[in-house]
Amino acid sequence: MGRKEEMKRMKTKKIAGSIAFVVGLIIIWQLIYVIGADWLKVVKPYAVPNPLGVWNSFIGLIANGTMLTAVGHSMLRALIGFIIAIILGVILGILILHFPYLCTNLKPMILGIQTLPSICWVPFAILWFGLGESAIIFVVVMGSAFSIALAVESGVKSVPPIYIKAAKTMGVGAVGMYKKVIFPAALPSFISGLKQGWSFAWRALMSGEVMSATVGLGYTLILGRDLADINQVMTVMLVIIALGIIIDKGFFSVIENRILRKRGLLQ
Amino acid sequence: MYLQLNSINKVFDDTDKESLSDISLEVKEGEFICIVGPSGCGKSTLLNLVAGLISPTSGEITLEGNIVKEPGADRVMMFQEAALYPWLTVRENVMFGLSAKGCSREEQKEIAKKYLKMVQLWHYRNYPIHQISGGMKQRTALARALAMDSKLLLMDEPFSALDKQTINVLREELEAIWEETRKTILYVTHSVEEAIYFADRVVVMSENPGRIREIIPITLERPRRVENESFMALRQQILQSVKAGVKKSMEEEFDGPEGGNEEDED
Repeated sequence: MGRKEEMKRMKTKKIAGSIAFVVGLIIIWQLIYVIGADWLKVVKPYAVPNPLGVWNSFIGLIANGTMLTAVGHSMLRALIGFIIAIILGVILGILILHFPYLCTNLKPMILGIQTLPSICWVPFAILWFGLGESAIIFVVVMGSAFSIALAVESGVKSVPPIYIKAAKTMGVGAVGMYKKVIFPAALPSFISGLKQGWSFAWRALMSGEVMSATVGLGYTLILGRDLADINQVMTVMLVIIALGIIIDKGFFSVIENRILRKRGLLQ
Repeated sequence: MYLQLNSINKVFDDTDKESLSDISLEVKEGEFICIVGPSGCGKSTLLNLVAGLISPTSGEITLEGNIVKEPGADRVMMFQEAALYPWLTVRENVMFGLSAKGCSREEQKEIAKKYLKMVQLWHYRNYPIHQISGGMKQRTALARALAMDSKLLLMDEPFSALDKQTINVLREELEAIWEETRKTILYVTHSVEEAIYFADRVVVMSENPGRIREIIPITLERPRRVENESFMALRQQILQSVKAGVKKSMEEEFDGPEGGNEEDED
């Protein structure tokens, strides 16, 4: 019991430390702003955000409903794009796995395309789909489908051959092999691939929205620049970061850890 | 004849090395055959051929008159590693092959219960795989293989990764299970002792290329005792035979056909 309490106290201490760090950072930030902008007049207030301004901007965006609409639209686009990317990525991944010809020739290309920053797809998107939802979704799909395809391929390849051998001698056929052995065995790496794919999708979404949206987080950010409201720009940046963390830690990591723990791969 | 191997040759494409040469063997239904030999003599390859996981370069294998072409549920194989699925529980692993066979959920549960009880793991049926010991894993794998009720059971050094005490317990269990079920078993092992303990006939192989050196019938009364004098005499005899098979290949390596060519290092 004593050890448990000890651990609990350690944890509380750790959390308190983290909070103190963030609070300290905000205080220093505000101090620098006050000294630089108000006292020494070397910092231009329209170019540097300050904590108080960001807070006011946040409250303002919440109050007039802009923030909620923006988050809603952005999340919906990301979700639609991500689902399309999963479907395409899985199909592409399985094709690469089944045809050695595609593996030698198409895979290096996919690796190449994957290094392309998704903003590079924006011109195509606008030319092909016009300024609208489909253009942004196209950028999201292009930004994440290829990384998902590579994750599917490497996940399946990492399945221990003995799992497949054992199933074969028990008379499991090709379809059953995917359903009962390969998919469950590749699930942990597939989930971590999806997690990475999501982070690509999220970044691609912002590229798309900054260029061509009329509503959404990326658009709200650019609107802040156009209004010379640097605090609004900063507010939207923080919201984008927060959403990214929440989905990564609150969704993907939770699923990932649950699977790993069930298999004894995580304590 | 139940299982028949007709002058099997196996050459692996990637190395061009003749792994097995002119292997012929006939196995009766219900027979327990143990295959021993130096490591690298192709005894596991032989098992993989019978399983249908690989195909012979020439020669053919027939089971009840049907030529073996691909893996099938009539030739279940057990490996050195248990090869259990970590996302399933002990019982689900035993039920695994049964669903592929088309058994209903109820049948699967009933069969799994029977064999889990046989290997004394019923109590652990709902355990995840990572929470049971190595010996329990192999017992689960054995239950899974038995549950398939296949014509032939192929075992590739199933106990060799376990500690001595666990091996002794599992040997007795497998012996008793075999007495009860009278499965036809092809059992590969590097332990001569284990071979004599189980086998109706011990197949001794030699290496480079893998050939059958001799086949020794074991007529000792079961259950066999390692301390028994005739057991020890047999053990000596077979060990000699295995050693002779190794020695031949060692000589080949040192002053063999190509002579020691040192430039061929890489």
